[in-house]
Amino acid sequence: MTFTPLDVILFGVIALLGVGFYGLLITRNLIKVVMVLQILIKAVILALILAGKMSGSTGLGQSTAATVIVADTIVAVVGLALAVQVRRRFGTLDVPKISTLRG
Amino acid sequence: MAAILVSLVILLPWLGAITVWLVRNEHPRLQHILAVVFSILTAIASLVLLTAATSETVIHIPLGKAFGDLTFVPDGLAVSLTAIAAVIGSLAVVFSVDYMRGDEQLGRYYFLVLFFIGAMTGLVLSGNLLFTFFFWEITALCSYGLISFYNDDPKAVAGGMKALIITQVGGVGLLVGTLIAFVNLGSFQISDLLAKASTLPAVSLSLIAFSFLIAAAAKSAQFPFHTWLPDAMEAPTPVSALIHAATMVNAGIYLLARFYPAFEVVPGWKMSVLLVGLISALIAALSALVATDLKRVLAYSTVSQLGYMVYAIGAGGVLASQFHLLSHAVFKALLFLAAGSVIHSVGTRDMRRMGALGSRMPLVRNVFMIGALALAGVPILNGFWSKEYILEAGLEHSPVWAYAIMLFGAGLTAFYTFRMVWLVFFGRERDQLNVHQAGSAMKFSLRILALGSFITWLFFGGLSGLLSTTLPFHALEHESTLELVSAILSAPATWFALLVVALGFGLSWVRARGFVLFGGSWLNPFVDTSFGFEWVNDLVVQGISRFAERLRATQTGELNWNIFGIVSALLVVLVVLWMGA
Repeated sequence: MTFTPLDVILFGVIALLGVGFYGLLITRNLIKVVMVLQILIKAVILALILAGKMSGSTGLGQSTAATVIVADTIVAVVGLALAVQVRRRFGTLDVPKISTLRG
Repeated sequence: MAAILVSLVILLPWLGAITVWLVRNEHPRLQHILAVVFSILTAIASLVLLTAATSETVIHIPLGKAFGDLTFVPDGLAVSLTAIAAVIGSLAVVFSVDYMRGDEQLGRYYFLVLFFIGAMTGLVLSGNLLFTFFFWEITALCSYGLISFYNDDPKAVAGGMKALIITQVGGVGLLVGTLIAFVNLGSFQISDLLAKASTLPAVSLSLIAFSFLIAAAAKSAQFPFHTWLPDAMEAPTPVSALIHAATMVNAGIYLLARFYPAFEVVPGWKMSVLLVGLISALIAALSALVATDLKRVLAYSTVSQLGYMVYAIGAGGVLASQFHLLSHAVFKALLFLAAGSVIHSVGTRDMRRMGALGSRMPLVRNVFMIGALALAGVPILNGFWSKEYILEAGLEHSPVWAYAIMLFGAGLTAFYTFRMVWLVFFGRERDQLNVHQAGSAMKFSLRILALGSFITWLFFGGLSGLLSTTLPFHALEHESTLELVSAILSAPATWFALLVVALGFGLSWVRARGFVLFGGSWLNPFVDTSFGFEWVNDLVVQGISRFAERLRATQTGELNWNIFGIVSALLVVLVVLWMGA
């Protein structure tokens, strides 16, 4: 059984998605949540490039990926800033503990 | 033209609902004005729509394969019910201006009422069964929200929950029937189901017919689901008048009337419908004999009159049922609103504490008596014509014993109606009650409805014309008002029925003069358990509540669990797509 480079990238996408979702399922630390979200977004970027390559419009896939990289940086920055604020306000980064909803 | 009107009668009240909500509760005056303006505009649009009735599809929006096409068909059945919902809706809203004055949560109240009016018109106008179901569920939701409107009162919350769960059972019946029809026909269009009913396998057609019967019985508070309506009386009274007397409870009658041509061939279906109507009419009338809560008496009488309509459909009288529906909507809304004035004025619903209120609120007494006489079926009020018309259809097309029971029910109606009027407005004063007068908005609504109780039977010819020309599958014959009058006045059965009604009045009067006002306590054990059917309803309500409590464990509010839910839902969607939808 031989793999083409495209197959390898596809496995990479699936693996990154798996790691990301698994991480979201088990992490409780807000900083780690932000990191795991980053892993998920990386999987998406990779998938965009792959999709561009497979559909024949490589340039489109790559330029979309570049756009997502920019947006994703902002997500990371805002997420980390929020984490800092949460730490100051609640004194903890543990996600279940900062829930103020009752019921 | 028709397309614009159809969109108006559905979207105007919804637009009004959002507007009133956005105005916020700090401006109650503006909220009242906006609600009245939007509901009256809807009523005008619905009346104009009467002239544009057609059996054609006027709005057609393709929504892909899964939902079918969203269509609206303003045929006679739909436009007459739309007019009833919108006109009585606007009168109830006008009445609310006085009734709800000073309430702090007007936004929520008017939002739910207007949202309900739009959903009700959508329900009857929709030509797509799936969307009929959606609108059906919205009306149930609004009904729940309004029954539990005073949400600090545990009785109101319990009553709302009961109504919601029981009508959901009906909703499930409707959905099951709809899906069976879709599997067989590949279409959600009502016209397709009516046209191709004879080509369906007999088993499928019976399943659809009986699921729809369950849906109708649950929605219209018919046997064995009749116990939610009396418990729904915790709602503000204008809501009881609008939703639990004049419109939403008619949705079940509408469903039966709409699909009558398709289901009449199903063996046993007509007989079941007839029996459901008959049993409901009888046991509700018996329950009304001993109830001491003014609104509960009216609720029982609503169940009983709805039973007459269901009975009429079982006897093949679709026109008779629609005619009584129109009369009942008007006089029962009048009765509820008049009762609302009494309750608003004296601050209690308990008839044991009322008495001799008539001389202190003469207008309310007069209009209440007009409504009560119409309910009892006294000439020349609208209830007389429609009830006689139903009894005549019953005499021709149903077994004699069924006719006899319905006749007995008419006598009972006269009996409890007289008792109710006597207890509230006449006799001696039993308690010191602080009476204050009804406001002008209340009086306006009451006067219009009282006038309506006198004249709506004149619209019989128009209603018959609408139904006969725009319902291709029902094959109804056109009858003019004059023909109705001569047919009813010349039938010996009419005079016999009047005799029974007079007998009911007479017995009640004798009983009242003898000051045996609260006798008949031997009936109480039966009424308290709804003639042994309370357990059916309890089983349904408690079973579902318990199941829901267990599901509560899944609502942890924790991020990780929510992610788990999202990922699993994603997997399900992927699997469905992969299976090839």
